[in-house]
Amino acid sequence: MELLDYDVVVLGSGIAGLKAAIHASRSSRGSLRIAVVSKLHVMRSHSVAAEGGISGVLYPDANQDSQKLHAYDTIKGSDYLADQDAVEMLVKGAPEEIKFFDHIGVPWNRREKGMISQRAFGGMSVPRTAFAADKTGFFMMRSLYDELLSYKNVDLFNEHFATSLIREGDTIHGFVAFDLANRKIKAFRSKSLVIATGGASRVYHLTTNSYSNTGDGTAMAFRAGIPIKDMEFVQFHPTALIPSGILITEAARGEGGYLRNVHGDRFMENYAKSKMELAPRDIVSRAIISEIREGRGFKDHESGFGYVHLDLRHLDSKKIDERLPMIKEITMKMLGIDPGKAPIPVRPATHFTMGGIHTDIKGRVMKNRSHYMEGVWAAGECGCVSVHGSNRLGSNSLSQCSVWGRLTGEEAAANAQRKGKMPSGKFVALAEREEARVLDIAERKGHQNPYALRDSLYEVMDEHLYVFRTLSGMRFALKKITELRKKAGDMYIADKGTTYNTNLREAFEIVNLLDIAWIIAEGALRRHESRGAHVVKEYPKRDDKHWLKHTIAIKSLGRIRFEYLPVKIRGWQPEERKY
Amino acid sequence: MRASRLTVFMYAGIIGVPVLFILMVAGLLLNNAYALDVISMLLLLALVLFGVSGIFEVYAHRRYPRSGNKAGNGEFIENKVQPKSRQGKEISVVLKRFNSTTKEFDRVTYKARVDDRTTVLGALLDIKDYQDNTVSVRCNCRMGICGSCGMVVNGKPMLACETSILSAVKNDSVEVAPMTGHPLLKDMVTDFADFFERHRSVEPTLYRKDAREKYAPTEEYKQSQEELDKFLPYSYCIMCGLCLDACPVVNSNPNFIGPQALSQVYRYHADSRDQRGKKRLFDVDTIDGAWGCEFSGSCSKACPKGVDPAAAIQMLKGDIMKLLPENGE
Repeated sequence: MELLDYDVVVLGSGIAGLKAAIHASRSSRGSLRIAVVSKLHVMRSHSVAAEGGISGVLYPDANQDSQKLHAYDTIKGSDYLADQDAVEMLVKGAPEEIKFFDHIGVPWNRREKGMISQRAFGGMSVPRTAFAADKTGFFMMRSLYDELLSYKNVDLFNEHFATSLIREGDTIHGFVAFDLANRKIKAFRSKSLVIATGGASRVYHLTTNSYSNTGDGTAMAFRAGIPIKDMEFVQFHPTALIPSGILITEAARGEGGYLRNVHGDRFMENYAKSKMELAPRDIVSRAIISEIREGRGFKDHESGFGYVHLDLRHLDSKKIDERLPMIKEITMKMLGIDPGKAPIPVRPATHFTMGGIHTDIKGRVMKNRSHYMEGVWAAGECGCVSVHGSNRLGSNSLSQCSVWGRLTGEEAAANAQRKGKMPSGKFVALAEREEARVLDIAERKGHQNPYALRDSLYEVMDEHLYVFRTLSGMRFALKKITELRKKAGDMYIADKGTTYNTNLREAFEIVNLLDIAWIIAEGALRRHESRGAHVVKEYPKRDDKHWLKHTIAIKSLGRIRFEYLPVKIRGWQPEERKY
Repeated sequence: MRASRLTVFMYAGIIGVPVLFILMVAGLLLNNAYALDVISMLLLLALVLFGVSGIFEVYAHRRYPRSGNKAGNGEFIENKVQPKSRQGKEISVVLKRFNSTTKEFDRVTYKARVDDRTTVLGALLDIKDYQDNTVSVRCNCRMGICGSCGMVVNGKPMLACETSILSAVKNDSVEVAPMTGHPLLKDMVTDFADFFERHRSVEPTLYRKDAREKYAPTEEYKQSQEELDKFLPYSYCIMCGLCLDACPVVNSNPNFIGPQALSQVYRYHADSRDQRGKKRLFDVDTIDGAWGCEFSGSCSKACPKGVDPAAAIQMLKGDIMKLLPENGE
């Protein structure tokens, strides 16, 4: 086992992770040793797949916009589960982030006088989403990566898969990872650790997410006894291409696209009359599934999926080429469809994990309802501050990743500077124990094929924890997940090699997925109301009297202990959510 | 089966209880004590059976929804994912797997069922998940934007995730091999360390003199559409490595910095926000820099994202001639 000491270690290399590394380096004036550890090549994280844009109030006068309005839209979009102080922080920090990305090279689409162009997005009152065509996340990632290369005190560890956090008492001292290239175990010891491992949408089969989004950081934190917040809220993006689930950006509707059912009707009229296609995602997803269930959808016979049409035929072809080139590229390459000439077949697919590691407003990971964990922060999709509540508005995620990436980086650097000495204690002994566990899993002869377990998980998640949920379905799912978790203890890794063993990595990922699924299913079963993305047939109404609170899940003695935390209200009182 | 048997009990209860009740009333009217006793015993028995079956029903429903594919209420069945690879055409996929122990290629043939929407990556992952778990493939976004899955399909370098496998099939067979312009790790996976180092070596960072503004931004740098169009095509690079794999010069002279890195030099050089000035040109005004390119154009043909590295290098050469004094004729 190799022991690597760093002042600040960032686990994960998406927008939040790279921002954290850059700002940790910057705020400490290059005096700290910083590492970015990623299970992918650093520039390939799922953030590259973000398409539509980043929200932020850039031109309050010209756009008749204000940070207050942005906050209100976000809170209403969250179905009042967002912590309002966190939302205020988001809308305040977002404009600066868009300008920061301008300064490191993102090719923003521009308007007159060289100003940054902004487009309409779901649930936003005015156009406030800055964009670089429909490859916004990709350009932000590439610019961040190129910017990061100029920092000499940041080391990049490509393709290292973390298996476990090392916790001593109430402090996280780092983690153990294996190098995919040669399966060598490395222990990363840190004064400050920033977890930025992204979401867990791969817990479902049909998802817009990359293969990497398996919630590794969240699952590791859960196993280390760290509280996990609001996991039952899973966002389904209304328009994912079938049968692959590839994302067709909300910007397609922001630029004027229509949703049509089998009769050619713009059915959103019956669900959100004032916002139509630009209602928040939970509402549009439910509308599409309702249309399909009530027989007004199309059916794809090869995959068995029901779907509706996303119609861009009435848009100017120049507009599509300028503002939605990737959508055209994807539909042409995947289905041979030109969106200017034929409608795109879409249906809702898992897109975003609203919940995550329980943090305070500065991204610091909590130990319980009121106390901190030492030495650890969480940023981006894996952390839950919470700004998105029970439903995220489109384009708020890139701002969240940027704002809390910066903040956690600065906080982690300040903490490392304060601490001075590297932790000693039992770190090496604990890491060696983890090394033995990893090697045992790699070598031992079990009986369960990890991919079979994964497929069984997909089946229950896609069926019972989808857009509409029922108590009986969730109970069934929970029982099935418990069975699968037991079986996962007896997995067989067919690939016994040490070079680029993806079989081994995926086995660990599947264990993480099963843990995440467990938290989602049990949290969902316990929440007796319908709010945002969580809709239960037996409890069709939002219940502010009993459920205006966050779910906190803590692993203890092989079970999950559930606690609840009131939502922070700062002036925006819950009201009926209508669009 | 369990559910239907319980339902029989329920029906028996629903019909039996009122019938017995009527009989009991009849017995009362007839004042026949013997009949009354028998009927009331039967009634009690029926009630008990009815109640027990009801409890069982609730319990069974709680533990197991009525039937596996009905999801408890029969509403979500349309969402069910059908098993993959049942339809479509059967083809042979020949994998040229790099063996990390022997350092040689093993040609292994797999059968796969594919349809007109199956991508090369989709077929490879199906093989990995359901036939041979030991196959290694590098992939992530499966939508042509992360740059992980550059491979050689029937001799042509391309992204596996956005290539329809049927478009590549010849005689019901397709050969997939790793890129050979990079060091090999295992199967389809190559080592990118050298490629990333080339990229890093050209200092591909937007350089600004106002560092303070960069980190505490107050206002965006203005940029016109014209200025944007100058560098935009070269900013689409996803670092997949296909151009380097295709470049005949790099493959014979490893010191040549290569098309990817040079295209990125031009990307930042052409950005109106960059303040590096002629330094970028000086750095590549070398025999292994821009002048190493022999303009075969293979890189531009291989690029899956329409970046034209060959054109970028020509532009660099042009600017070097124009802007660097010692090159002036």
